[in-house]
Amino acid sequence: MLQLHFLDDLRRMNIRQLFYQVLNFAMIVSSALMIWKGLMVVTGSESPIVVVLSGSMEPAFHRGDLLFLTNYDHEPIRAGEIVVFKVEGRDIPIVHRVLKVHEKEDGTVKFLTKGDNNNVDDRGLYANGQAWLSRKDVVGRARGFVPYIGIVTIIMNDYPKFKYAVLAGLGVFVLIHRE
Amino acid sequence: MEENPPKVNKWDGNALKNALDDAVKDVLLSRFSYVESHRLLDGRLLISSIAVGFSLFALLWDWLYPFPQSRMVMCVCVVAYFIMMGVLTWYTTYLERGIFCTALNKDVAGIDPDDVWNASSSLKRFDNKYHLCLSQKTGKTGKAKKHALSSQLKTSLMRLEGFCTALW
Repeated sequence: MLQLHFLDDLRRMNIRQLFYQVLNFAMIVSSALMIWKGLMVVTGSESPIVVVLSGSMEPAFHRGDLLFLTNYDHEPIRAGEIVVFKVEGRDIPIVHRVLKVHEKEDGTVKFLTKGDNNNVDDRGLYANGQAWLSRKDVVGRARGFVPYIGIVTIIMNDYPKFKYAVLAGLGVFVLIHRE
Repeated sequence: MEENPPKVNKWDGNALKNALDDAVKDVLLSRFSYVESHRLLDGRLLISSIAVGFSLFALLWDWLYPFPQSRMVMCVCVVAYFIMMGVLTWYTTYLERGIFCTALNKDVAGIDPDDVWNASSSLKRFDNKYHLCLSQKTGKTGKAKKHALSSQLKTSLMRLEGFCTALW
């Protein structure tokens, strides 16, 4: 007979305590979610922390580096700055440097980007017929970074089964463990 | 009294405390037929539910109206969530104070207000002294009495019935 001793704690709980276990789990998830949303509000960026996925910005950023972004409207985009942008229709954010900027008096900008480690500018990456990026494509400007840590995210995305296994394991542990 | 005392890992302090608390609760409720009052735990559940409610609302709103528009609502929800967390911490520290069971000694005639028994316990990390404190507040007179008891947990596996008979 399979004796699942680790479930004994659960069996001895009444309805209220079981509900509290579920709430406990929900509170941990909520705390992470609220911190993320809080960062979104404070930085003004829809994705305040991104992971560098390619080596196109070497030697400045390597694959696996974690970048912190801000996206304040009042800060202008200037040539030489590192921006993270999304091409329309594609989900993946790209981290490159601004090469050329055209700015009108009213503040509208058109700019061209290029990865430091690439031979050509990004026009090949933009949508069909698009030659310039505008403000709305920008996810944020890089403000700081932490090296290597993002490798975990890359591994989790390359091996989704591993990610689900870790999350499921953690979830079960929190639900079963009595505090 | 439980026929099968639960097996507890003697090195897991948390599980030990929970098992001992359960045994004390069992004595209070079944031996003396007191009625359990769930007010304290219900309060904690309510605060946590409100907090989780805010976070779920934020999740839903952001999904319906993507980021830049949802900024104000997001701000409110995040602040509200952390305020609720603060309330929860205050509640646990000052109101609950380690109380794991509130039992009411109901008056048989149903006229006089109930006596309230509060059982609270503490078991410090890496320590083997279990402190149990029973406080009684008589309904009629409003007077409060406290009875504290400490027990050195022995190195052999705990036998809960033995501990409970020692209590009374």
